Amino acid sequence: MRNYVAVVFDDTGKAYEGLHALWQLDDAAEVTVHGTAVVHRDALGNFQVDTKETHPALATAVGVGVGALLGLLAGPAGAAAGAAGGAAIGAATGGVVGATADLVRADNRDQAATETRFVLGAGQSAVIADVSEDWTSPIDTRMRTLGGTVYRRAKDDVADDVWFDDDYFYPSYLYPYEYIPSSYSL
Amino acid sequence: MGKIETNVKDALDHIRAATQELHGAISDAAAKRGGATKADLEALAQKAKAVTESAKGSISTQRDAAKKHLADGVTHLEATQKHVAESLKSSGQSFQTSVQKALADARASAQKISEAVAAKRSAASK
Repeated sequence: MRNYVAVVFDDTGKAYEGLHALWQLDDAAEVTVHGTAVVHRDALGNFQVDTKETHPALATAVGVGVGALLGLLAGPAGAAAGAAGGAAIGAATGGVVGATADLVRADNRDQAATETRFVLGAGQSAVIADVSEDWTSPIDTRMRTLGGTVYRRAKDDVADDVWFDDDYFYPSYLYPYEYIPSSYSL
Repeated sequence: MGKIETNVKDALDHIRAATQELHGAISDAAAKRGGATKADLEALAQKAKAVTESAKGSISTQRDAAKKHLADGVTHLEATQKHVAESLKSSGQSFQTSVQKALADARASAQKISEAVAAKRSAASK
């Protein structure tokens, strides 16, 4: 089954341990990982994604994807806010998403933050992944031992969501391999 | 990338790893301050050609969904090759466009090939 998974950790270092563990599960053929990203939320509620430095146009797509993905993982209630908020936070460039959102659209950004807070609280980090898994226990068990909380939505459910727009949503920011910035080397 | 080898890899796993590496190399080149050099792009062109040929040669050894996904992956690898070749002959905005198109197609090829791996693993577990 193809799922989008978010594993929330209280600590950034643990999030990268979680990312590494996820790719190890792939390496052991327990699951197949199609893409991953690590998202942080600072104390002020701003989102940040660890990426390589990219073209500004791509960085905008990153922002849009994160807002939509977090909203969709939050469920139908979060989807609208995530989609709308994603457009607003997509105004940010570089790796920092949400910090420089257009003030005219701040209402959307605030709503998205509120609706997705239960997925990613202030100060927390999350591993976001697109995975194929025949059973959920390998990821659940491994992440639990690392102190992570797993949220999961079937990709089909996301695709059926009224807010889903393939061109808008598809998470091109997910790295299709284990990417860990040098500042977080394990 | 620091991953631990825990099982025996087959040809499809190796093609996937090579495609992931290609995507990584293109995204590194795209992110490079001051832009990618001609030497970077020539190396990418060679890498893209080698991965494409390897993947193309493996299509006939795969079955069902894995075969279809791998064939789709090859289509994107061929497009990646084309865009990298275009980037070697261009400059300015058209150069940037070619590199971004190469990156997008490399991403799509990695996606399709990981779907082929997932299909093969799922079939093997039944």
